[in-house]
Amino acid sequence: MKTLDRRGFLKTSAGAGVMTLAAPTIVRAADFPERNIKVIIPTREGGGADRNFRAFAEVWKDKLGTDFEPGFFPGASGRVGYEVYMGKEEPDCYSLIFGNMGPEVLNWAMQEPSNFSVDDYFYFGRVDVDPGCLFVGAESGLQTMDDIIAAGKERKLNVGTSRMAHPASIGLLALGEATGAQFNLIPLSGGKNTVAGAVTGEVDFSVLTSGSVIAAGDAVKTLLVFGENRVGEALDNAPSMNDAFGTNLPEMLSSRAFAIHRKAAEDYPDRFAKLQESFKATFEDPRLLESYVSLGGTPEYLSYGGVEECAEFMQAMLELGAKYKPLLTGA
Amino acid sequence: MGETATILTEVFFETIAYWWVIVPTIFLGLIVGGIPGFSAANTIIILMPLTLAMDLETGIVFMVSLYCAARMGAGIPAILVNIPGTAGAAATPLDGYPMAKAGKGQQALSISFVASCIGGLLTTIIALATMPILARVGFYMHSVEMIVVMLFGISLIASIAAQDLLKGLIAGFFGLMIGSIGTDVVYATPRGTMGFLELYDGVPLIPALVGLFAVSEAFIIIEKRVIISEDAEPKHPNWHDTIEGVGIALKRWWHIVWTSVIGLAIGVVPGAGASIASFVAYQQSRTYSKTPEKYGTGHPEGLIAPESANNGVTSGTLVPLLVLGIPGGATAAIMLVVMQFHGVSFGPALFENQPKVGYGMFMAMAVSYLIMFLTILPLSRYMSHVTTIPTIYLAPLIISFTLVGGFVPREYMFDMYLALCFGVLGYIARRTGYHVAAILIGVILGPLLERYFLLALKKSDGDVFVLFSSTLGNILWVSLFLSLMLPIILKWRRARRNEEVPAE
Repeated sequence: MKTLDRRGFLKTSAGAGVMTLAAPTIVRAADFPERNIKVIIPTREGGGADRNFRAFAEVWKDKLGTDFEPGFFPGASGRVGYEVYMGKEEPDCYSLIFGNMGPEVLNWAMQEPSNFSVDDYFYFGRVDVDPGCLFVGAESGLQTMDDIIAAGKERKLNVGTSRMAHPASIGLLALGEATGAQFNLIPLSGGKNTVAGAVTGEVDFSVLTSGSVIAAGDAVKTLLVFGENRVGEALDNAPSMNDAFGTNLPEMLSSRAFAIHRKAAEDYPDRFAKLQESFKATFEDPRLLESYVSLGGTPEYLSYGGVEECAEFMQAMLELGAKYKPLLTGA
Repeated sequence: MGETATILTEVFFETIAYWWVIVPTIFLGLIVGGIPGFSAANTIIILMPLTLAMDLETGIVFMVSLYCAARMGAGIPAILVNIPGTAGAAATPLDGYPMAKAGKGQQALSISFVASCIGGLLTTIIALATMPILARVGFYMHSVEMIVVMLFGISLIASIAAQDLLKGLIAGFFGLMIGSIGTDVVYATPRGTMGFLELYDGVPLIPALVGLFAVSEAFIIIEKRVIISEDAEPKHPNWHDTIEGVGIALKRWWHIVWTSVIGLAIGVVPGAGASIASFVAYQQSRTYSKTPEKYGTGHPEGLIAPESANNGVTSGTLVPLLVLGIPGGATAAIMLVVMQFHGVSFGPALFENQPKVGYGMFMAMAVSYLIMFLTILPLSRYMSHVTTIPTIYLAPLIISFTLVGGFVPREYMFDMYLALCFGVLGYIARRTGYHVAAILIGVILGPLLERYFLLALKKSDGDVFVLFSSTLGNILWVSLFLSLMLPIILKWRRARRNEEVPAE
């Protein structure tokens, strides 16, 4: 009969100890998620973020093994949603925020709320990249960029935008700097109103995330893209601003992404790892594209991004926000 | 033309065949419309997986019936227990609830149902026939013109203030001040939020609405045995009262027609909503009435105007959605998402590529109103029982019901406390002779007025003369001026006539 010697005893004890110490983590990781995951959306129901969230969650829920519960907290250009997420949700990986990195980081740069720092949360999963664009109503008297530049040199043109702190607004300001045309940004509160403003003539033309412009169909005509035109005909083959005007502007993107409390990722690395893995696996599933397209998404805009890509984008937005802050805040 | 008629006939019979969807949806709509905080929009969102699983035709019929029924359902508690289910029904209790208190709840419900159904049906037909023209309204109604439209509604404060000018104006300005809480529309800077995150997006309408009207009313009725006045004749609900209500409404058919057209005209402007339409229609109805002094005391025309108008908005919101691809309101925006899922692309090409979808939405609306008329009218007999429930049961029910309603739209506990605060405010206002409706008009229309005003100023770089820069705007200014002066002129002429005819 084999007996346990001292060395064997120590080895077994050490192994058991490691197992015991590791067990809660393994069990926690294996058990996560035990309940639904709440997702704060800082815009209204029925908007682009709602649509993208539903398309993504439809597939992600199978990968993660739990459902997602959206909660809509619009207001103050997205600030309400972030305040709710940072102030009221437990940092335990059971709550996420699905925001639009471009305008919402810019908004933070404009207002810098004292309640939390922009470093207290971070984006870890980018769903899409959607460049801003400039478009006119189908019946507008301004039908080309030449018309717009010429008119903008004669008088200040009113330009609709979803909100002041928006990448497309920055694209327009950069266009003004490059051409000498004068523009007056008019915040029309949301994508649908921005499209309506251009179509009905409330403003001379509008700038907006191109996905919403594509959805507006024949009612509008796109003249310029603040980034690469990935969809060609769907945006009326409009050129990129850098090609048309020789500028060196980074892409002015709306980029929807999931973010999480930094504390949650640090306190529960196992849970966060599971979120990241399942997020990435969702992108590998062909059902995602089907779901995204069926809910009106533009397939060319679906684009995976992890922690690094998101951080890089966020930094660029903060720098642009600081540069254009006086023009976007009226300060 | 012949081809369109054929399509319309086909679509009509196809829609009728969906009666099995329409009838249960009408009852669902009545329930969600009647519960404060719920609406057609959030019900369609909650039922989104079901809606997406339906085929396109069933989905359209379901969403449109729900939309119409919820709009009508919001008027039921507004009339019976002074709880407007949505901001669109905020003007309904002004005359509906006094009727219920006078023991005429059943007649009031019948009037409301007839006005809603005829108003909704009529505007649907007008919208269908004049869609290309109506779609142009949004091209002329910009921020400047909308400022004047808002002022039509806000001038109702002055009418309400007529009985006690100082108190009425104080209440109205107080409401406007409350309405200015929240972030500004241009730079999103928080104002007057007192550090409450929950107020960043402005004072939420449903807690304000249920607090000012319903919670304060519950505090009042607890002092009585039942809602109906003790001097009102106690009687059992009967068919006679229902038929009497139908008769009262039908006798005022012209009133239904023109107030519903006001609703349609406002509904086709993207972003304008039922709350604006119902207050503007009420104000116009009162202005051109031969008996303006009866408004606010349970006058049928004061009930017909907001109910016809808010159902007119329902048909109006479909026009910019279908013709321009721009949803006119929250429910239309959700419909857009669902229909895009089914591959429908809105805009000018819709009626060429998928005419049955375009016409089908209007037909579903028309058929829903027809079926609603037949199915809901008999219910008024049973619904009016609510006014005879002893207040020791009813008051706690109203308070708990409305607090839950205050919570539902945003799921903030804060909103329940806010509804209670507005309830106490409403109670004090009633006990000291201030009109809660004047406060509420300020709370509802104030932020909209401010939004259009700031946009107009931003567009003109701060030049206030922009307010008189458009022809249509100037016509509206003159109409507003005349509409404010008319009651004074009529009153003066009446007084003069009385002086000329010596008393016998």
